[in-house]
Parts: sequence; C-alpha cells; structure tokens
Amino acid sequence: MADARVPRKKSLDPAVNQMLAKAKKENIQTIWDRYETMLPQCGFGDTGLCCRHCLQGPCRIDPFGEGPREGICGASADVMVARGLDRAIAAGTAAHSGHAKHLAHTLLKMATGKTKDYRIKDEAKLKSVSTRMGIPVDGRSIADIAKDLAMAALADFHEKETPVMWAATVVPQKRVDVLLKHGLVPKGIDHEISEIMHRTLYGVDADAVNLLLAGLRCGVADLAGCYMGTDLADILFGTPTPVKSEANLGTLKKDWVNIALHGHNPVLSDILVSVAAQKQDMAKAKGAAGFNLVGICCTGNEIMMRHGIPSCTHSVSQETAILTGAVDLMVVDYQCIMPSVATVAQCMGTQVLTTMDLCKITGTDHMEFSEEEAGKKAEEILAMAALNYAKRKGKPVEIPDVKTPVVAGFSVEAIVAALSKLNAVDPLKPLVDNLKAGNIRGVCLYAGCNNVKVPQDENFVIMAKKMLKENVLILATGCGAGALMRHGLMDPANVDALCGDGIKAVLTAIGEANGLGGPLPPVLHMGSCVDNSRAVALAVAVANYLGVDTDALPVVASAAEAVSEKAVSIGTYAVAAGLPTHVGVMLPVMGSPLVVEVLTKTVRDVTGGYFIVDLDPESAADKLLAAIDERRKGLGL
Amino acid sequence: MDQIKEIFVRKDLCMGCHSCELACAVAHSASKNIYEAMGEHPMPKSRVYVETVSASVPVPILCRHCEDAPCMHACIAGAIHRTADQAVVTDADKCIGCWTCVMVCPYGVIGRHLEARKAYRCDRCQDRDQPACVSACPTKALVYQTVTDFSKDLRRKAAEELSRGEGR
Amino acid sequence: MAANQTYVIIGASAAGLSAACAIVKTEPEAKVTVLSEETDSPYFRPMIPFIISGEKSPADVAMTGQGPYQAKGIDLRLNTRVVSLDTHSNQVKTKSGDTVLFDRLLIASGSSPYIPRDIEGTGIKGVYALRTLAQARDAAQRSSSARHAILLGGGLLNLKAAFALLEKKVAVTLVVYSPEILSQLMEPDDAVMIRQALEHAGLKIMTGRSAKTIVQGPNGVKAVILDNGVDIPCDMVFIGKGVRPCVDFLKSSDMEIDQGVVVDPYTRTSRENIFAAGDVAVTFDPVTGNRVVTGLWTNAAEMGLCAGKNMAGDPTAYAGTFGVMNATQVAGLPFVSMGQVHPGSGDYEVHRNVSGNAYRKLVFSKEGKHLVGLVMVGDITHAGLYRYIMREQRDIRRVKEKIIGQTLTSAHLMYG
Repeated sequence: MADARVPRKKSLDPAVNQMLAKAKKENIQTIWDRYETMLPQCGFGDTGLCCRHCLQGPCRIDPFGEGPREGICGASADVMVARGLDRAIAAGTAAHSGHAKHLAHTLLKMATGKTKDYRIKDEAKLKSVSTRMGIPVDGRSIADIAKDLAMAALADFHEKETPVMWAATVVPQKRVDVLLKHGLVPKGIDHEISEIMHRTLYGVDADAVNLLLAGLRCGVADLAGCYMGTDLADILFGTPTPVKSEANLGTLKKDWVNIALHGHNPVLSDILVSVAAQKQDMAKAKGAAGFNLVGICCTGNEIMMRHGIPSCTHSVSQETAILTGAVDLMVVDYQCIMPSVATVAQCMGTQVLTTMDLCKITGTDHMEFSEEEAGKKAEEILAMAALNYAKRKGKPVEIPDVKTPVVAGFSVEAIVAALSKLNAVDPLKPLVDNLKAGNIRGVCLYAGCNNVKVPQDENFVIMAKKMLKENVLILATGCGAGALMRHGLMDPANVDALCGDGIKAVLTAIGEANGLGGPLPPVLHMGSCVDNSRAVALAVAVANYLGVDTDALPVVASAAEAVSEKAVSIGTYAVAAGLPTHVGVMLPVMGSPLVVEVLTKTVRDVTGGYFIVDLDPESAADKLLAAIDERRKGLGL
Repeated sequence: MDQIKEIFVRKDLCMGCHSCELACAVAHSASKNIYEAMGEHPMPKSRVYVETVSASVPVPILCRHCEDAPCMHACIAGAIHRTADQAVVTDADKCIGCWTCVMVCPYGVIGRHLEARKAYRCDRCQDRDQPACVSACPTKALVYQTVTDFSKDLRRKAAEELSRGEGR
Repeated sequence: MAANQTYVIIGASAAGLSAACAIVKTEPEAKVTVLSEETDSPYFRPMIPFIISGEKSPADVAMTGQGPYQAKGIDLRLNTRVVSLDTHSNQVKTKSGDTVLFDRLLIASGSSPYIPRDIEGTGIKGVYALRTLAQARDAAQRSSSARHAILLGGGLLNLKAAFALLEKKVAVTLVVYSPEILSQLMEPDDAVMIRQALEHAGLKIMTGRSAKTIVQGPNGVKAVILDNGVDIPCDMVFIGKGVRPCVDFLKSSDMEIDQGVVVDPYTRTSRENIFAAGDVAVTFDPVTGNRVVTGLWTNAAEMGLCAGKNMAGDPTAYAGTFGVMNATQVAGLPFVSMGQVHPGSGDYEVHRNVSGNAYRKLVFSKEGKHLVGLVMVGDITHAGLYRYIMREQRDIRRVKEKIIGQTLTSAHLMYG
C-alpha cells in the first residue's frame, strides 16, 4: 500500500542529492534509507486507528470492517482518531509555548539582573507589547516593564481570571467573539495542553466533535505560544529587518571553523552569533580563517532574520550538513533534531553538542546551557569548535558548490516600514489598495517542514511558483521558508522570472521606494515556526484596516510537507483564525470519516477556516487559489 | 522449471500487528491506496487472518493453495482454478456465493464478501512481484520463497542454534 | 503399471469428469472414454436454476476447461446411454447397440429424481423434476409466461428453483409434506430463521401438506389438488423429492447394489477393475461408519477424484462423507448443515446458540469427545474447519469451549 508513496526522487536540492550520493558510497544511512526500510508503514497508525492510551491496549480498529470495529473500551474510530489528533495538537502547543516560556524566563532573568548577557534590543516593541498586555509603560524603567511583561507571559500559561492574553489581544474583536461563542478561548496555555491530556485519557471524552473543539481551543493556545515567542524574541534580540544572506550547503567553508546551529530558540544561538563575532581570534589561533556560523531549521531562520547568518540546510536534510565532513560542531537546543545526527556524526567524525536538559541525545556530548552564564558557555562552545577544526584541518571535505542569494527579515514591522515609504501616513493603504485592485490576488503563507514522504521541496516549490504566477503574495516561515530560499524564491533577481505582473509591480514598487534599486524578493521570509504569528499579525492588521474578521480575507496557508506535531497545531490555529489551510501530507485521521468531515467541512461553520488535505501540489494550489477567489468574491472584489 | 514461490509463515516472528491484513485488503482494492480503499464499495477484504493460538501467540493464517484443493473440486460453479504458477484462485465473476468452498476449506481461509456475495481468498497477489502481506510484515514473519529455500533457511537457523548451544 | 489401459467412465458429470481428469493427470498416456447419456456437453448441474432465472446461459455453466476440469484428450461421447454391463467380458453396451470395451470402468451414472408414485399426473407438460440442462431450458421458457408455480418438496433444489422463479416474477408456493422445510438438512427448530427469510422474500410455504393430483389443462398443468382437497391453480409444478442412484442398467450384472453401487474405501466395487463414484456409489459416513448415498456435487467431485487416482494406480482412500452435508445461501441467509443434524432426543450433547442474525447447533457425541453434527445459519465462518474435525474425528475436548464459543481457528489446530 505505502509502496506507491516511495518518492520518485529524494530531493529537489542538488546539494542534498550530492550528499546522498556520498552517503550511499560511504554506506551511511540517512532518513531516506530508514524510510524505505520502514515501508510499507502500518496502516492502522497511518489512518489514526490505533490507540495506546491505556494499558488494556494497544487497540486498533479494522477500517475494512472484518476485525474490531471499536477499541476494548468501546472507543469508536471517530473517538480514537479525534483523541490522537488532539494529542498531536497538544504536543505541538507544548513545544511552541515551551520555546516561548524559555524566552519569558530569560527576559525575567535579564530584568531581575540574574543574567548580564542579555539586554532589551527593541525597546519600542517591549513597550508596544506591554501596552497591548495592559502593562503601564510611561515613566517606568525598561527593567520594570520587562519584568512585568515576563510575569504576564508566565501568567498566560496557567488558568487565571483572564483568558490567555497572547490570544485574546492579538486577534480582531470579531474573531474574539467567534471564539467566545464556540468556547474556543483558551484559559491558560498549559491548562489547555493539560486538559487535552485529561480528556484524551482512558474513559474521559468520547465525543469526537467535542474532542475536536477542545483541539481547536488548544490550537488557539498554540497561537498564543507562538505569538509570545515572536514578541519576546524580538524584544530580546531585535525585530528583524530586511537582510541579505545565503542558503544551502555551499555556505559551509572549508578553511573556517564551521559551527552549525540547529534547533529553534535564539536564547542560545543569538548569543553564540554575538560572541563569535567578537572572538574570531579563537578560530584564527587554530589556523582557521575565522568562525563560520550557519543555521539549520528554525535556529537558522532566527539568526538569518536578525543577523543575516546563512542557512545551511533544513529539516529532512539536516544529516547532509554533517555528511560534508566540514561541520566542526553542531550545536543544538531542541525540536526537529533527528536522533540520527548522532550516528551520522560518528561516521563523519563530527561533534554534536546538546545544550538543553530536555533534549539529550545518546551518542552526542552535552553541555548544559544557562542564561546566567550564556556568554561564558558560548565561549566554551566556540573553543570546542575551534579545537575540532584543528583536528579536521587538512582532511578532505566535500562541500557542494551550491548556494542561493536570500533576502530575509520580513517582520510585520519591517513590512509596514517598507510600505510606509509608499504612504507614510497610512502604510497599509498601498497593500490593501493592491489587494483590492487585484495586483495582489491574495496571500498565501507557506509553513512547516520537509517530509521524507515528499521529494524534498517539491510541494513547496511547485505550489509557490504556481501561485506567484497567479499574483499571490507569498509569505514563508520555518522550513517552508528554507525550502523556498534554497530554490531562489527569496532572491529578488528572480522576481521577473517567477512573478505575475501584478505582484511583480507591487514588489518592485516597495523595493524601489525603499532604495533597494529593485524589487523585494518573490517570497517574503517571515521567520521561524513560532513566527507564523507574524503572518497572523499581518492578516489581523489588514482585517482591522478593512473592518472585517480574518475569515473574510483572501489569505490561505499551506504546510505542504508537514512533519512535526507543531505543524498540526499551527494548522489548527490557522483554521481557528478562519484560514483555508492546506496540508500536503496525509494526517492520521482518514480512519474516521466523521473527523475528516469536521476538519474539511463542518469546522467552517464554526471558525470559517478549514483543512484542505491534498497530496498533489498542482491541485492543492488550484484549491487554494479557488479559496482565495471565493473570499475575494465575499469581499466584493 | 523454476520452483514456485509460496508464502510461508515463521510464526515465532509474528507480533500480531495485523499489518499484513491491511496490506492485503489494500492490495485487493480498486485504488490500491489505503485512504481511498476504505471508502470503496464493495469494501476491499483481507485474505490473510492473524489468528491467536492463545492471547499472546498470534499467527497469520492464509490459503495453502492445497494440492487437490478441496475448494476447487467442491465449487459448483467452476469458479476456482489453479494458475500456471500453482496458485488456487477464485474468479469473482464466476462465483455465485453458494459458500460450498467455505464449507470444505479445512483452514477456514476463504472469506465471504457478504456485500458482493462473492467468496474471496489469497491469490498470492498475481499482479505483484511479492505478495502485499509479505512486503508489509515488519518482522518478516511472512516470507515468499520456494520450498527449497525456505527449508534451507530453517536448517541454517537450526544449525546456528545448535552451534551456539555447543559453544556454551 | 497402469500404462496403456483403456479407461471407460459412465457419466460425464462431477464424479465422471473429476475421475477422467485425475486419470489423465496421473497417467498422461491413458486412453479415457467418457460416456454421457445427455446431449449437452458436461455442465455444472447445480447451476441449472440460474438457467431458469436467466442469470446464466448454458455456455456460462459448461464444465470443460473450467475449474479443475482442464484435462485434454478425453474421448467424450454424448448421447450415449449405457444399458448394460458385462463384468466378465469387460464391456458395456449402449442404447444404440454399440459395445465399449474397457480395462477399467468407473460407474458414475449419477442419480435421477425420485417421483412419488402416489401423485397423479406427474407426466403432464409443465411438471418438472429438475435434473438436466435440457429440462432447465424448457422450464426457463415456460416460466417466461407462467404466473404461479407449485413446488412439491422443501429441499434445497426446490428452494433454488423457487428463487429462480421469483426472479422471473413467477409466484411460488412451496408444498412441503414435512413439518418444516429443509427437513433432510436440519430439524424444524433449526430452520426457523430460514423460513422467516424465505417468507419475507415472498415465498408462500405450506407445510404438512402433499399433492394428490396434478390437473391437466389445454397448455399442460393447470392446477394441483392437495391431500386436503384444496385445488390450487398453477402453470408449473416442480417435484423436488430427492434423488435415487441410477442403477437400473446394472440389474443384469453381478454388481453389489444396496440402493447404489457398493464400494470399498478405495472406491472399488466388488470387481477388481470396476469402480464407482458420485451419486450412484454407496460410501460410508466417517463418523458412524454407516453406508450412505448422497446427491451432492461436492461429494461426487471429491469421490471421483479419488476413483480416478485409484484407477490410474495411485491408491487413494476416500475419507467418506456425511449423509448430510450442504451449504448455500437463500434469501440472503447463508447456511451450512453437516453430519448428525437430527439428534432428536438421542444420546448426544447438543448446544444451540442464537445471536442476532445467526443460529448455530452443535451436536457432540455423548461423551463429548467428538463433534458429530453442525447446523450454522447466518454466519458460516470456519464451517470447513468443523467439517475437517468432524471428518477426521479429532478429539475436540481441548478446543471444545472454542468450538462452542465460535472462536476456534485453524491456528489452534495447527499450532495449539
């Protein structure tokens, strides 16, 4: 059955394919090999029809009706599938909000003087976010405000008098009303996660629709976690502005100390970038040209957005960075780090360093990072990398000569600033005017990961190219951004070739008004996966400008090659925000026709958003375009 | 003449995951795709059955394609014949759903499709290189081999166990 | 050892053709001649109700080249009725006066319908004792303009014919002398679900009644008068009162006849070179050891296969068969019946189980060591497994609870 899903090719990226050829030659297993060994995959898991929520299990339901039709406890296929999906949403929410909580603690430590290595880089954003949270700012010290904001952030995790503020204050009032009406306003981020764990326990919620509503509410909590993550990271590390960089394995440099920063949170990576800039001598002392920091996955996005650090690779191809033999140290924090990096690193003689207690990997080294000693730890890490370089020096490496220019850094603030060069008084007006005029047919956000079941980047590239030709403004985050940047979709030089006339004119007008001497890149990089909140913020700004709810906008989203449960929770809040949301791989829900019906149709009556599950990028793009047009029609455009 | 390959069960390896059953049903669907197969009419059916000897001992049971297959001789419609590669197969078009084959199969491996009123059974996946159940088995409890190769493997395994025992 | 022998087979149905194919497979050089009294090429006889309903054409039910009947080079002579056998000169004589010599002979002449002598008018046009394709073709034609058919007898053949007629929009009344339908295959209580399903499907059933007279009209049959004097108009009558072995042509021979031709477990008659199989043969019940004759295609095919092997020099014992054994589906209800299904108040351990749309009766021997009879209605899962343990007389005490609970699988028998 799953045989049919063995991809024709592994990756669209020539650099990745070069490394896979090397891996094959050297008999090193990669994710693609492990995937093939796994085939065909278990149909029960694939369709969501297995349950291990109690010790009477495991249970599975036979979708072909010969075997069990319900679990031992009597759970129907609908209940089993809905419970499984809920737990995925809760896990994704836990990850994003865990990332945000880490930032909140860092902010608090900074504000209370427990660490000297962090500071407020964007005071304006500190004040604007605090104001949004109802924290007084006038006449108060930055530290005091920061402390209150950190406390407010931490307070959003538990149940309290108010709802989750990072959800309730970031969407239009109309959306708040919709969420209130259906009981979808989260009480606390951790509370919602915990409640999902409770209700999906043995013998609790056995109503699929009720389960899915709880999942939606948890999805709204995930939006809060993401939004908070973005806000606090911008406050601590600076709100991104357009920056030039490069992407792909060609950004590794043979004669430099190559440090790959992999994972998610800028709490570690941003410090490393700053310290490395000051400590180039450490690398030179070991005979290297200097430190060459590169990013992998969302850590890469965070430091590219703020510092122009190149992105080495993303997601499914993370092992290929190590396969070059040129990485002297891979430093990881958490999320999306495949345990296999340990094995591949052992084969290549590369050191992998874990830094967070919640993410240790057998076969790698661990150095517990602490915000209190961030600078010192960063120096230790750089020293470790320099030492590794000294050992590597002179040994052969294979760095694919593949890299692509990238312009990144499109926070909402940066976009508004750029638009203000066209209309200083009313910066959103040019955007909305172009939307109305049809130069911008709609907006599509590409988010999520690369899934081994899809030829790497294929869904993203096919869909984005098709939609650019159709004058859709494309935003990208996470490894979706990584996919599009690798293939030149963030290189302004490609606007002519890729974009329809309408969107080309818009990108060119903004670029020229900003003195870039050319257009903005075809796809706007908005950041990491928590930064999907930026896309929501932009949509909310436009909705407020037009005086409509977000579900009226011609805005759609796509996790075209999703992997992580984080993609599931992001997709859920996109639907909660009212967006038609495409998923390009199969969700484990097909075992329940009811759940499929709710996710793809019925939920529309609740939030206005809905899921589109389509594995074919061409037809998926068509469906998103149709959804955009339907909404334009709804707005009378 | 090349020896015919058969599906053999190495029951000690069966984990009872029922993956073979799903793969079999999908392989015998119109779409050959699990997501679509679940919605097909008539519903695709598995021809391999993971039964249990006791609660903790699962074992896949499937058609033995018997020599002098009782089902083939019992069929009152001439719907069961033996293919050139020795598989005993049921022609659904000819089957009238009288269940005589079910009555005579000593292994209980002929299924009754009530919706379609057709008997169905393992056909060793005539359109695949390897039967879907064998491909799907995560522990290789199902193997597709010639009798010679299968018994050779059994002997080799026995020899290994013997030599390990002596080495102790 | 059997090379260059001349094999002659009387009868070209299940037993005869199975034997012929087995001979050719075992002894490819053998000369095999099959004599059939019918003018039609061999066909799957149980399929003839589908000829009446029109669901199948005669070509659809042809045997040659279908199922296991793939052997080539068999000399098939149609329209050749054997009238006598000379066991001393090893020859049979045909109706046309020809003589056919054999080295080895298989008597597979089958059976013919039993027609009760006490019913008047059974020879009238439109009265059928359905047996041959030729009759079915005729019945198919007549049923196209018929409105009402009366079927005498509540056995399987009549039930199948009844549904064929219903397909043709002919109203059907089943007149059954026994207290309940299918009395040969089960006890009255076992048949309740089936009877309900039949009536639900539109069949009219009268039990405890028999026909006395079939009345002739201008176009053949026009009514049936029952034993209570009631006169029911109809334009077709089917007599389904069972079959009797075709042994008339053996009367002048020295074959041992006890209803049918008596054979040993190797299907051999009292003569070394003469075998018998199928409906005409007397075989034995593996459980009781009693002599039985059956009229079942499946038995005939299986026994014919054994006979063919034995004749070609590959000694193969026939495992015998139950006097009662059948499976089918009528009115959406599948059912299986086999072995001792009429325990009555006899010395047996009987378990009955009704659940939802399924009924089961299990008959165990008195000491509970063997399963000896089985009726399954609605759900016939693993019926073959039970047939196997009954026929092999497996000591079932270890798996008895599983049999009763219907959780037994072949895994228990193979690996348990």
